[in-house]
Amino acid sequence: MAPLMVTLSEAIERARNEDRSVLTEVESKQILAAAGIPVAETTLAASADEAAKAAANAGFPVVLKIVSPDVTHKSDVGGVRVGLEDEAAVRAAYDEIVAAVAERQPKARIEGVAVQAMARPGTEVIVGMSKDPQFGPVLMFGLGGIFVEVLKDVAFRIVPLEERDAREMIDEINGRAILDGVRGGEPADIGALTGLLLQLSTFSEANPQVEELDLNPVFAYKDGCLAVDARIVVSSDK
Amino acid sequence: MTPAGLTPRLERAFNPKTVAVVGDKRAMGYMWLHSMKTFAGKLYSVQIDPAEIPGIEALEVPNYPSLTDIPEDIDYVLCAVPRPVAARIVADCAKKQVGAVALFTSGFAETETEEGIDAQQQVTEIARENDLLLIGPNCMGLYNRRLGVRHSPDQEHGDAGNVGFISQSGTHCINFALVGATHGIKCSKTVSFGNAVLLDAPDYIDYLEQDAETEVIAIYIEGTKDGPRLLRSLKAAAARKPVVVWRGGTSTAGSRAVYSHTASLAAAPAVWSAAMRQAGVIETDGLDETIDAVKALVYCKPATGKRMGLVAMTGGQSVVITDAFEREGMEVPLLTPASYEKLASFFNIIGGSYRNPLDAGGTIGMGFVPGNLQKLFEILEEDENVDAIAMEVSGTFIARRLRDNPSIMNGLLDILAAQRERSAKPFLTITHPSHVEDVMADVRRKLLDRGVAAFTSFRSAARALALATAYWASRHNGA
Repeated sequence: MAPLMVTLSEAIERARNEDRSVLTEVESKQILAAAGIPVAETTLAASADEAAKAAANAGFPVVLKIVSPDVTHKSDVGGVRVGLEDEAAVRAAYDEIVAAVAERQPKARIEGVAVQAMARPGTEVIVGMSKDPQFGPVLMFGLGGIFVEVLKDVAFRIVPLEERDAREMIDEINGRAILDGVRGGEPADIGALTGLLLQLSTFSEANPQVEELDLNPVFAYKDGCLAVDARIVVSSDK
Repeated sequence: MTPAGLTPRLERAFNPKTVAVVGDKRAMGYMWLHSMKTFAGKLYSVQIDPAEIPGIEALEVPNYPSLTDIPEDIDYVLCAVPRPVAARIVADCAKKQVGAVALFTSGFAETETEEGIDAQQQVTEIARENDLLLIGPNCMGLYNRRLGVRHSPDQEHGDAGNVGFISQSGTHCINFALVGATHGIKCSKTVSFGNAVLLDAPDYIDYLEQDAETEVIAIYIEGTKDGPRLLRSLKAAAARKPVVVWRGGTSTAGSRAVYSHTASLAAAPAVWSAAMRQAGVIETDGLDETIDAVKALVYCKPATGKRMGLVAMTGGQSVVITDAFEREGMEVPLLTPASYEKLASFFNIIGGSYRNPLDAGGTIGMGFVPGNLQKLFEILEEDENVDAIAMEVSGTFIARRLRDNPSIMNGLLDILAAQRERSAKPFLTITHPSHVEDVMADVRRKLLDRGVAAFTSFRSAARALALATAYWASRHNGA
């Protein structure tokens, strides 16, 4: 079983040894959590028993996701199960996930599954960082789902951000009104989203080895926000 | 890499007492010497070709075979020699310890050839090793209107200006000064910086930020080698004075053209725009919009409010002037009851209306009933729902009278100039496109001469004011 908490430099070293630049979900989340960024707590389980124990600790219902350095689109290979209500369901799901991935992507190295409590749904937003050849790290903010995928409704700011920049990029998206709560949905905590952007700005500035960062989705609540999935890409050189 | 103590050194180059032009020739029509003839200080020529020397002497410019032969210090050198000779002249500049040298010479990295890249490397190294300020290469160098240091023989000179322009392109640099002048924009100092091997856009931005003569900075840029540094410089400058940034190469094919132009890469448009917003600068597209935005900044009082009081001559124009301002994010509100009460007492509602926009042609006799026009201005001035005032000046019905009767033209100009003088709010006029464009151009010129912002279309006026207002609002919020 992998060490409980991994630091960025350890994760980078491990990734380089395994000839990959994408950190696993568990690694990514642990690194971000250590930087104080609100991420859904996720535990790596290397067996069905471990998964059941982790699920009991996290509280039901839970989500199981495959952890493999070789799998980027987890649901495409049957690597995700949601809404698991008890230990028996978790044990069964563990075996099913491992079998499905082994069948659909036989060469994938499987470290186990990530176990996390189902996050309370909120307004889906995405936050990312990528590097521009001229400006360096650039943060992106947008609403999740079709807003980002189809409408490309996103805003950018160059790292480092000031609070004003973070607020302006949230206000800049065309779908901004959705964050005020529509059709009975709860309004999003703009202060928390602003804080998240500023934390990611600081994180990106302090860790130049991080080439890309995706928090997708982040659930925005009326009080706070939570990154449900996270992915860090590190530079492959050196 | 920015040389140490740059500000006083650029101060010397931008305000020279002595200028030398190296390598001007008949084939270029002695363009550089003609441009520099207006220089208020001492002008020298350097040329060794015996065939060229009589032409230079005919211009009464003392010529020397080498820079190092000139018997006094040289503050600014414009070097127009062919590429194979450039390195030698740059070395002479270093030996002579000139204030700065601008290399008009081109054929460097922008050619994407090995020879070009090598030649660029060579002049850059000479400049670096000798701590020489090198502007360019592949550029038009400096323009100082007050001192008559120019890069085009058509540029205005003599009196001071207040707009600085920094340009990656030589043509846009010259055009901004030339075309800007026809729109009442006077440049303080401009620089075309070309391939920017040593001094880059941020160096010039930092300089113009602290230049007391420069009240507005405008920039044409295609790309940058150091985005974060550009962002810092823009942000610092925009906190002190308005900065307008026109970026070329935002289209896919345009970004390809950028590389062969000045050998720099173009950032993704969305990232670029984000950086500009973050810096608090005004982003424009094209010479027209850049000139219009600068015009609004120079001629209109700084204000953050978006609510327009509009005066038009006819019903149709009232509709479209309102559309134009609202489309650019400005507002056209109802006036206060007090204003309506005053308007009701004299406004001619036969063929007119006064809700805002004021369809006022009948009331003000198309501009020739000065008393009523002045009353309208006073009402809009006092109205607390109105932040800025714009008025249509069209030739449709009055061109003949404007052309034939100078006293009528002057009467109208007097009222508009007085309004501009008195008003605490931004005030702008639109000399609408006309069948008598020469008359309208004359009116526009005269308005600008008297300090009244005059634009050529509703859309350009609305856009320019919206950009200026956004700048002042952003600066206000940031303070």
